[in-house]
Amino acid sequence: MNRILRVPMAVLGLAAGTLLATGPTFAQDEKGKAVYDKVCVACHSAGIAGAPKLGDAKAWAPRIKAGIDTLYESAIKGKAPAMPAKGGATDVSDADIKAAVDYMVAAAEGGAGEPAAAAPAAPAAQAAPAAPTKPRPAALSFNRLLKPASKRNPPPPEDGIHDPDNDGTHALQAPLQVFEALPRSNAGNRVDWVKSLDNNLIAPRWDRTDPAAAPVVMDLNIVREVKGSMPDVVYPHKQHTAWLDCSNCHPQIFIPQKGANQISMAAILLGQKCGVCHGKVAFPVSECRICHSKKKNVMPVKNAQAQ
Amino acid sequence: MRIRHPGALWRGAQAAALAAAVCIGGFGTSGEARAEYADVVINNYSDAAGMRPVIFPHWFHRIRFRCKVCHADLGFQFKAGGNEINMVKIIDGQFCGACHNGDIAWSVENCNLCHSGKPGTPTQVHESTIQKLAIQPQAGGQQ
Repeated sequence: MNRILRVPMAVLGLAAGTLLATGPTFAQDEKGKAVYDKVCVACHSAGIAGAPKLGDAKAWAPRIKAGIDTLYESAIKGKAPAMPAKGGATDVSDADIKAAVDYMVAAAEGGAGEPAAAAPAAPAAQAAPAAPTKPRPAALSFNRLLKPASKRNPPPPEDGIHDPDNDGTHALQAPLQVFEALPRSNAGNRVDWVKSLDNNLIAPRWDRTDPAAAPVVMDLNIVREVKGSMPDVVYPHKQHTAWLDCSNCHPQIFIPQKGANQISMAAILLGQKCGVCHGKVAFPVSECRICHSKKKNVMPVKNAQAQ
Repeated sequence: MRIRHPGALWRGAQAAALAAAVCIGGFGTSGEARAEYADVVINNYSDAAGMRPVIFPHWFHRIRFRCKVCHADLGFQFKAGGNEINMVKIIDGQFCGACHNGDIAWSVENCNLCHSGKPGTPTQVHESTIQKLAIQPQAGGQQ
């Protein structure tokens, strides 16, 4: 009986202790976490480009030893080789960045909201209202053609089309849970699906029920010469037949006969020909050189003059 | 470009307009939605039936099945909303119902896992080239 009681008591005591410890700095921690979730998370959650991971005490220890002011400076001004100033989010105020640093330091020291980490944050808290964060319109952000890391692969409740009020939404798997283990690419899902399959990192079934069924892969490259200065297109049957059946493309989309298919980027952009998949589910048309990959045989100028 | 008939000319003009749109407008953000590339919203009947629209995540399925399984064996056309799927067909084992039968994948009583879109979201392939370049229908009169 005594033992049964002791557990809840301990939990209560711990809860009260945590409340006492975090009480005064709670708002600051929340601010730090919010900034971390928005900006820093892109690198500091997975340890991209050598970034010390959140909660990784070993990686953080030498940095914490260098002093909190050094850390603040590195975060705000950036640090070679990979840390951009303010993690790339230059519209975030210094105070907010400091709060995020405090949050990460606290996490590394073993408990978010430790008073030790919060103490240097006090002046930052006072400065915070003086420099409110103004969200910048999308058109004015740096390189609007590129999605910032914080906006890639969000979990379903935050992706803008799933309804966060629906309980089922929260039961769905988040893309990053899987994508982190897969080779990345620069567009689409930001996953290199062909490489993922080639390297056996995924094992999608070829048959609905039979896990052993394997595709008949056809290794035949079709070269299409294109007008203008773009390199010619090499179409590999190999990568396509690993995913698709012949009947998916032939004869409805492509007549299986040399020279019988008029293909243009216009048609592809409109969702026809290659655009039936590329630009909808397979890598998008922004990745020109994956298809346009064969250098043209241009006659050198010297030879042309000699003739 | 060799022009063969007036249709080709019109298509050429469309292409030029599209190319211009790519250069000028760029692949800009379309509103707040930033769901996964190739997430398909299917809202053929859902709104009218008082259900949330269906969101089909391609990424989730292509990790588990190759394109061929659904698009050749099960007869899914390459067109968002083009398959006229309804719950009767699914319960009958067609389309989604070929797997979502409690045997291969979870069964149809988990309504909210598929019907999880924001009400009023139109049928679309999220992040598709066309979606990024064309003006989108307003979501249920909102925005």
